[in-house]
Amino acid sequence: MADYAFPHRHLLGIEGLNRLDIETLLELGDRYVELNRSRVKHANVLAGQTLVNLFFENSTRTQGSFEIAGRRLGADVVTMPIATSSVKKGETLIDTAMTLNAMRPDLLVIRHGSSGAVKLLSRKVDCAVINAGDGTHEHPTQALLDALTIRRRVGDIGGMRIAICGDILHSRVARSNVACLNVLGAEVRLIAPRTLTPPGAGDWGAKVFTDMREGLKGCDVVMMLRLQQERMDGAYLPSAREFFHFWGLDEEKLSHANPGAFIMHPGPMNRGVEIESGIADHKTRSLITEQVEMGVAIRMAVLETLARNAPEIGAPKAGGKNR
Amino acid sequence: MTGRTAIYNARLLDPASGLDANGGILIENGLIADIGVMITKATVADVKIDAKGKALAPGLIDLRVKTGEPGAENKETLETAGDAAAAGGVTTFIVMPDTDPVLDSVALVDFIKRRADSVAKVKVLPTGGLTIDLDGAKMSEIGLIKQAGAAFFTNGDKPVEDAGVLRRAMSYAASFDVLVASRPDTPSLSKNTVMNAGAFAARLGLRGAPPEAEWIALARDLMLAETTGVRLLADCISTARSLEAVESARASGVKVSCSVAAYSLFFNELDVGDYLTYCKVQPPFRVEADRMALIDGLKRGAIDAVVSAHDPQPTEDKRLPIADAAYGAVGLETLLPALLSLVVREDVPLLAALKTITSGPADLLGLPQGRLAKGAPADLVLFDLTAPWACDRDDLSSRSKNSPFDGRKLEGKVLRTWVDGATVFERG
Repeated sequence: MADYAFPHRHLLGIEGLNRLDIETLLELGDRYVELNRSRVKHANVLAGQTLVNLFFENSTRTQGSFEIAGRRLGADVVTMPIATSSVKKGETLIDTAMTLNAMRPDLLVIRHGSSGAVKLLSRKVDCAVINAGDGTHEHPTQALLDALTIRRRVGDIGGMRIAICGDILHSRVARSNVACLNVLGAEVRLIAPRTLTPPGAGDWGAKVFTDMREGLKGCDVVMMLRLQQERMDGAYLPSAREFFHFWGLDEEKLSHANPGAFIMHPGPMNRGVEIESGIADHKTRSLITEQVEMGVAIRMAVLETLARNAPEIGAPKAGGKNR
Repeated sequence: MTGRTAIYNARLLDPASGLDANGGILIENGLIADIGVMITKATVADVKIDAKGKALAPGLIDLRVKTGEPGAENKETLETAGDAAAAGGVTTFIVMPDTDPVLDSVALVDFIKRRADSVAKVKVLPTGGLTIDLDGAKMSEIGLIKQAGAAFFTNGDKPVEDAGVLRRAMSYAASFDVLVASRPDTPSLSKNTVMNAGAFAARLGLRGAPPEAEWIALARDLMLAETTGVRLLADCISTARSLEAVESARASGVKVSCSVAAYSLFFNELDVGDYLTYCKVQPPFRVEADRMALIDGLKRGAIDAVVSAHDPQPTEDKRLPIADAAYGAVGLETLLPALLSLVVREDVPLLAALKTITSGPADLLGLPQGRLAKGAPADLVLFDLTAPWACDRDDLSSRSKNSPFDGRKLEGKVLRTWVDGATVFERG
């Protein structure tokens, strides 16, 4: 597998990746976990290359994670302060992309609030593009880091019963995770109130539940999703306390999952809304901080893999048929 | 209620099982212990009641009652509504959320239950407001309020105008399999109207509510019920076309039931006649063809529940020019007589009529009462099927007397009412 040539120029989503693609990244990620746990965390595989972080949406952990991943691989990392940039001055997204492209970056990490925006940008630039979250569409590195976290705990994800709970409707994490876990052979369940269940979710390759106790039955892993404050004001949900009562992960509901089931959360958490503090901090079952650690490793794996695939440098191309 | 009570020599009427036969009922510990011809004068019991051949049926269940408690106790309290219910043979009624404050929280639903338990002679179940303050903007804590004991959810007489809000509220409610009731109305068409729109209203010089105010809202509600999968009660439909829409949606698999106000089966728009403010109600009395279509629906079993739509309004709110008068009519005490009159006058099958006020509503809410069955609560009503009488508003037990039946002749009279085996009303 080490010789497997990853066939994609960008990482825009889990959709379109096959099992070998994903496992290649996970294996490389595994190796970077070891590197990250050693004292000298440097690998110079990206020496001389430029990584640009382009976050149109505020982010602390994902942006930081990509920065650290890039630096550990020896790349020059630049994070563009988009919130105060020319985008605010009315420049179109495409113009921003063209401008950046002219600076000749090698890797472009993009987060954007609109689904599909990252894909649009990827068509206009010459470098490799990594989707760090687009709207409510995909967040592929989150799904990969989650898979890496689970895999290191249970060995083989195949046959595992994994529940994803909470605001599925607005979650790019859920969409990427369903795709990723399905490819890896897990049995995926989605648990949410009907207002937060996307139409047609039953066709995603996951079984849909509204009753959390029923949905958690026999689960090996419980992934909680973040509930945005603005969903709790009476439009999608009546209140935070009602959500916690019926869909917040507490000891009692968790007791319906398999004994020892692992608990995950992509962060940042709303303690007392989607998850009880005692569970979030559970010494042996909560994998939440481990997920953050795996995030750096898997992003190093992604950056290295895509950098390897970069075409020879030439004149900036006219744009149009990447991917 | 300890000991055994035997009611014998009765005509037993049970719509749930189709029973219409002579016999008796044995009551023990507030429950129906036995039913049938073997219950006679000779049955061993502490109390024996000779029904003298009168009709004995399950106590009525009324899905739509307003009281003024909390907030407008001058109109009606849970206690006076309980008295009126008992006098009307109604042993369970459901209160609407449009009180002051609105029943949109666990605390208020709990308050109604506790308050009614201590002051009302009959069983009272609260509804939960579908949206906070019935503002049609933010959904209430449907899950927690259901757990607190709300019978179903409704926005009362304030329709949720925003289809997006209604869709999400229905969708969320479907997570808990609760019943959502919606009285179909389009305020932009019905606002400030007095009666049904048409030639008669025009001749009286009154603003009328066109039936399309009901049709448009109902069509929307049915579509949203279909896509969200919620159980919908089309509350107080009043036209032929509305009934058709409900039946056709039901035939295509939508989980919809419907209720009709007793007055919609009894009156038509002409009854507003001489600007009678007691006949100013929502939905308004419609045309005779609508009334006949609803009666036909009743005969066919297409109507799940007939309701009193009890809405007490004091004299000061009714003795006004009709345009300024409040909407609403009391109805708890005329619900059974109105239906029995239809049995006599319009050939509605007796059990079909009774079903809409007993097992029909009970089944919508999953209640054990509303049927003559062993083990069911002994909520019963004894009545004379055909006794003629004239309704006089001053004889009503309700605190408010705004009855459109005032002065009307009716057939059928409640004689005695039991709740959990205890007598709560007996005609002197």
